[in-house]
Amino acid sequence: MQFAGWCTISEVYAMTNRIKEYRARHDLTQDDLAKRVNVRRETIVFLEKNKYNPSLKLAHDIARTFGVKIEEVFIFEGE
Amino acid sequence: MKKTMIIFIVAAVILVTTGFWFFTSRSAFKPADLVMYGVIIVVVGFALFLGYKRLTSVKKGEPVEDELSKKVLQKTAALSYYISLYLWLAVMYVSDKRDYETHVLLAAGILGMAVVYAICWLVYNFRGVRND
Repeated sequence: MQFAGWCTISEVYAMTNRIKEYRARHDLTQDDLAKRVNVRRETIVFLEKNKYNPSLKLAHDIARTFGVKIEEVFIFEGE
Repeated sequence: MKKTMIIFIVAAVILVTTGFWFFTSRSAFKPADLVMYGVIIVVVGFALFLGYKRLTSVKKGEPVEDELSKKVLQKTAALSYYISLYLWLAVMYVSDKRDYETHVLLAAGILGMAVVYAICWLVYNFRGVRND
């Protein structure tokens, strides 16, 4: 039995994303997406590997690039 | 770009000064001097690596710094500072037990800090930073 009060927020709400999927749909390379949202390519690589949680601004910029809402690209697994 | 040029200029000045120092003091070379050379090589090597990374980013048309790289630097600074406190404690312990000259201990401490910073940066840079 696990009590939510004993876990950190990041353990309860693990965030994943569908950047790779949307990137493929829009036929964009990691480099293209990085240039569009004004970050380095490494940042996109880390995002796709779920090794980095973006700021709200970056999440918004990425979602806007794909023409969808933030919650369609970034998914909170605990919800 | 300005910052990158400053990094390269400082690294070049340190290298030239070190070379000058090496050639003028070759006859009176002490093992303790190796520690100093170690400090300089690690610091200059790390600066050159960072400068090269920034330069390649500029050539690719990418921003030199973004939110991830800033976060990596912040986390690196915090962790390396924390580890450095224990490092200096170890240096103090060694200075009590062994009879080393002060400048050797200081050089060892600074070298240790540079190495710790470089290792922390590498770990965060390759492992990534999660917003916990």
